[in-house]
Amino acid sequence: MKTHAYAELQATTNFSFLRGASHAQELMLTGQALGLSAVGVTDRNSLAGVVRAWTAAKELKKQGLAIRALTGCRLDFMDGTPSLLCYPSDREAFARLTRLLTVGQRRAEKGECHLFWKDFLEHADGQLALIVPPAKLDGAFETDLTRIAGELRGRVWLAASRAYAAQDLKRLSRLAELARDARAPMVATNDVLYHGPERRPLQDVMTCIREGCSIAEAGFRLEANAERHLKTPAEMARLFERWPQAVERTLEIVERIGFDLGDLKEQYPDEPVPPGKTAMRHLTDLTWQGAAWRYPKGVPDKVADQLREELRLIAKMDYPNYFITVHDIVHKAREMGILCQGRGSAANSSVCFCLGVTAIDPTEHRLLFTRFISENRGEPPDIDVDFEHERREEVMQYVYERYGREYAAICGTVIHYRPRSAIRDVGKALGLTEDITAILANTVWGSWGDGLPDEHIRQTGLDPNNPQIARAIALATELLQHPRHLSQHVGGFVLTKRRLDETVPIGNAAMKDRTFIEWDKDDIDSLGLMKVDVLALGMLTAIQRAFGMLRAEHGQPIVDLADVPVEVKGVYDMLSKADSVGVFQVESRAQMSMLPRLRPNRFYDLVIEVAIVRPGPIQGDMVHPYLRRRNGQEPVEWPAPSPEHGPPDELFGILGNTFGVPLFQEQAMSLAIEAAKFTPDEADGLRKAMATFKHDGDPGQYRDKFVEGMVSRGYERDFATRCFKQIEGFGSYGFPESHAASFAKLVYVSAWIKWAWPDVFCAALINSQPMGFYQPAQLVRDAREHGVQVRAPDVLMSDWDCTLEDRAFSSPAHSSSPAHSSSPAKRGRWRDADTHRDGGGVLRRPGADPGPPETHAFTRRSRIFALRARPG
Amino acid sequence: MSAVPPVALIATEGGTRRLAAVDDAAAALGLHVGQKAADAAALVPDLVTADHDPEGDRAALEILCDWCVRFSPAVALDGLDGLLLDVEGVSHLWGGEAAMLDDLLDRLARWGAPARGAIADTPGAAWALARYAPDRTIAPPGGQAPLLAPLPVAALRLDEAAQAQLPRLGLFQVSQLLALPRAQLAKRFGLGAVMRIDQALGAAREALAFRRPATPWFDRLAFFEPISALSDLERVTGDICALLCARLEAEGQGARRFELVFHRLDGKDQPVRAGLSRPGRDAVRIAKLLKPKLDTVDPGFGIEIVTLWAADVEPLSVAQRSLDADGGISLEEGLAPLVDRLINRLGEDRVWRADPYQSHVPERSVRRAAPLDPAPETGWDPDRPRPSRLLRRPEAIEVLAKLPDDPPVQFRWRGKSRRVRLAEGPERIGQEWWRKAFDEVGPGKVRDYYRVEDEAGERFWIFRAGLYADGEKVPKWWLHGLFG
Repeated sequence: MKTHAYAELQATTNFSFLRGASHAQELMLTGQALGLSAVGVTDRNSLAGVVRAWTAAKELKKQGLAIRALTGCRLDFMDGTPSLLCYPSDREAFARLTRLLTVGQRRAEKGECHLFWKDFLEHADGQLALIVPPAKLDGAFETDLTRIAGELRGRVWLAASRAYAAQDLKRLSRLAELARDARAPMVATNDVLYHGPERRPLQDVMTCIREGCSIAEAGFRLEANAERHLKTPAEMARLFERWPQAVERTLEIVERIGFDLGDLKEQYPDEPVPPGKTAMRHLTDLTWQGAAWRYPKGVPDKVADQLREELRLIAKMDYPNYFITVHDIVHKAREMGILCQGRGSAANSSVCFCLGVTAIDPTEHRLLFTRFISENRGEPPDIDVDFEHERREEVMQYVYERYGREYAAICGTVIHYRPRSAIRDVGKALGLTEDITAILANTVWGSWGDGLPDEHIRQTGLDPNNPQIARAIALATELLQHPRHLSQHVGGFVLTKRRLDETVPIGNAAMKDRTFIEWDKDDIDSLGLMKVDVLALGMLTAIQRAFGMLRAEHGQPIVDLADVPVEVKGVYDMLSKADSVGVFQVESRAQMSMLPRLRPNRFYDLVIEVAIVRPGPIQGDMVHPYLRRRNGQEPVEWPAPSPEHGPPDELFGILGNTFGVPLFQEQAMSLAIEAAKFTPDEADGLRKAMATFKHDGDPGQYRDKFVEGMVSRGYERDFATRCFKQIEGFGSYGFPESHAASFAKLVYVSAWIKWAWPDVFCAALINSQPMGFYQPAQLVRDAREHGVQVRAPDVLMSDWDCTLEDRAFSSPAHSSSPAHSSSPAKRGRWRDADTHRDGGGVLRRPGADPGPPETHAFTRRSRIFALRARPG
Repeated sequence: MSAVPPVALIATEGGTRRLAAVDDAAAALGLHVGQKAADAAALVPDLVTADHDPEGDRAALEILCDWCVRFSPAVALDGLDGLLLDVEGVSHLWGGEAAMLDDLLDRLARWGAPARGAIADTPGAAWALARYAPDRTIAPPGGQAPLLAPLPVAALRLDEAAQAQLPRLGLFQVSQLLALPRAQLAKRFGLGAVMRIDQALGAAREALAFRRPATPWFDRLAFFEPISALSDLERVTGDICALLCARLEAEGQGARRFELVFHRLDGKDQPVRAGLSRPGRDAVRIAKLLKPKLDTVDPGFGIEIVTLWAADVEPLSVAQRSLDADGGISLEEGLAPLVDRLINRLGEDRVWRADPYQSHVPERSVRRAAPLDPAPETGWDPDRPRPSRLLRRPEAIEVLAKLPDDPPVQFRWRGKSRRVRLAEGPERIGQEWWRKAFDEVGPGKVRDYYRVEDEAGERFWIFRAGLYADGEKVPKWWLHGLFG
């Protein structure tokens, strides 16, 4: 029996929004299972899905299943030219493709791409093109075909598919004829929209949503059958029985594609390095300069050793550009007077500390560099930096300016369907009336992916067994997982050495002057490109304001986080009493109930505090053991393997800081490696599974390996199970220790301000709204309880923001909603009404009332009424 | 002692029997409406009484109303004992309003329902004059005010409360009311009173509920001698159609529905109806449509009047006959009469045209449309060849075909075996899954259609329901349609 081979060269993922009904991973998985040699992703005027397909193929390869993911794009033109499936044959051709798509997207609105034939011609070198014939094979098409084939001689084909229509064979014969005449050989595809025929209903619904009609009216806009799925090579050979070369040609084309997305790796910009120096040299210089700044009394030996070790590793892995880039951004921010702090695993690095990127000295807190960069992982470091939220835009503009819009752009992010919009769109498409879809939309859906439980449906009064409703819900649940559109990420910048638009298409965002790339953070990570997260943190704004007030009003020379006096006992006492309204991270009720039990009295306790009140430790039932051990109520025992498998202090290195109880995310990882003996790859897989926000990673698949691994080495099953439960609970909420440390720094600083200068604290927080957990009214009440006099707004004396007036402060004249929402005109209004000076304000805007009214001639109500009775 | 005993009708109101109506003789003896029956019986011992039958009265009034259609199609019931006719544009048939009124009232009297009548611009004025003015008063157009002035205020149809108040204020005549300022009138007696005055004088409109809508497209022929022969009926049909159509043509209008009513001597009506699919005014054609139905008309003792009225009247421009001889008849001119004849003979829902409807499923891709409706925007798709005759129920056939989806080689239908010479397909059509229950839906539920031509040259449309799959039941084959 002859074995056939075939590669599908025309497959659409769901990144052709509302057209393709399968995820890229599903296509690759199914393609491999069906025995295809390769699957080529050709989304419409977009490369958004290619990385996912490529990543999926990589994962399959790890499991020993071979299939190749080809990177292509279906180019649709505005000027009537027939569509082309474009496969770049090498890196340069790919660069041309991305530039072409960028041109098309930049000249159109967000989400659209306008291309013309001449655009393609300018970027046509190295492209392999398959022409997509239209439904009608008329004279106009023949002309176009001849012309295109002439211009792309030698690398052009005519794609033909069997749609199981009435006159398939007639059409294929005609296509074969046309192909022969134009010398664009015919090649077989199946014009795939989904991976299997069971997706047809969802695809039909997507068509209805796209066309804005109900499924009963859609008519011929829907496909007649469910044949547009991936098919086995044998089946394709049978369908093209009379034209076997068409099937063989697919493999010839695959042979000619020499490009793989892995070729995009390692492209760090070398922009900020001064000429004459290598990047590594520059980084080393900066590091020692920074060390001198951080340790004015001289760099301790321990630190110097650490720095040398880190620099060696950085040189070996060739990462200096990365650090230099981040340092450059942070340095500029400081110059602009913007407060910033690195977060995440970067806090493990002394180099980062000396460069000023992070605010934690890792040697003091025994944080390990290997958690930040590991030789094994081979991934570039991921540094996230928090900036003052009000001034973050300035930082972003600086990045754009510095690197130019051709080399820097913001990551994209994929916006998926939410339950409400999904059920509304699906309901409308299926012809349900609006009142029913509104009811279903407003019901509470289960956790993402679980859809809508029957019980919830019954409670709304609808019958879950009604086929219409059941169908709508089933389809809506399926739709939830599919992308709806791309949007720009919050602050992740992608920086490349080569022009960015030669690596990935860049499109317009909804905001003016903003552009973003088609790939999201996961894609960037997968490809190994460099990314810097420029994030916003409200508390940094508040702290900056507080520092400003301290300098101006109280003569305190505090400029940077490092200037704040450390380890002040009063601060810890205050926190131990749960007096933490307004303090970063520890102001929630859960935290407030933990503080008196934990009773922090040093910095590391704050690190614990930040990390412990989170799903991971709680779910793993580690909180109470920790508290008991810390308070001396329980002896500290070390879980240990049986002697033949390992030493009894095997876990000491991992759990030493936390009384033998794993609390941090990387402790869990280390347990997997040390105690359950995961290979580095498996550990990586586990880490990824924990880290994906979308929950489409499933840590559960590792459960048996973890628990059995530990048990087989002599650990107690109960301990192993609890550890794994903790891992599941970490999900995306787990804190690495360094991250907790960075945050703990801010906890301490904000607590210190609150303890030492409560008036400054309250004023700074209110002026930085919106942020934090509490409303201004609550903050004011808390301040009053600490002896601060808060004065009401006064028409003649108040300023736009809160100001300090000898240990009291005046409320602002504007309302408590976002500071920028009051208009100057409203202030004018206040002046028209009667004023009544009494050492404080008279008129109080309803809503800005923090407590019992001051004594005045009028009661509040009558004042309001009087105000209302006055015209305009 | 009169020869005819006095008559009164009795109605039971709240347990008491009272007189509901009295005739002239009884009234002359002092009986009145509302009097207790017992008292009346005591006063007039030979009083003949009968029960008041309001429904019967109303039914009789309705019959009368319908009878009046021969005078004007727009007749309305007025209260319990009156009729209102809109005679605009109709009186010319009698040669004037006076003649028409006389004819109407005489006939009514002859028929046993003597009545009083009046003609005026407005229903309100006519009502007043008919009841309170001298009999057969005709008010000149716009000139009803002087005629109304001397009438008592009851002529204005005011509500009970106002009616009660007026005498107390010394207002007895309409002229007195007309002299008062309107604002005061409104304040005192309510806006309703002012409205009634306006309605009578023509300053406000009044809506009447006509048994049939008013239309000027109405014609009437009356005969000295009643007719009953079929040939006569046909002749008058032609005559009256000619009359009405001439008027339609003069106005540039055409109509779609025609109703011909034969009014018999004994008061019964025999209607005959015809409809056109396009508005028309060709008298000959309309008469032709009506003539076949004349056999259903039973002339009884004779038909004295025939009326024709037209509905769904629309503007219709004059069609110029083309001067060149071979300017062919337009589709409409040629087809429309045929369609009309078919419809009128077979019934409206038996004549239809097949329009394409966008659905992949063949039996749902056809919709019925009215024969002469405008053609649909998209015609039949040439890429989807469909049989001109689609069987309502596909018929089972036995087929020989190669797996998995080759066209049939041979099949047997209605007992006859046919060998396939040429074939095209499969055309795979999936089900409309949104119309099915969950367990009926699946990727395997498809139909593969084949166009086949047998050795005799006949073409068929065959499908297989389902796919051949290992281990499952063998799919069946069906014949769905015939080409050519």
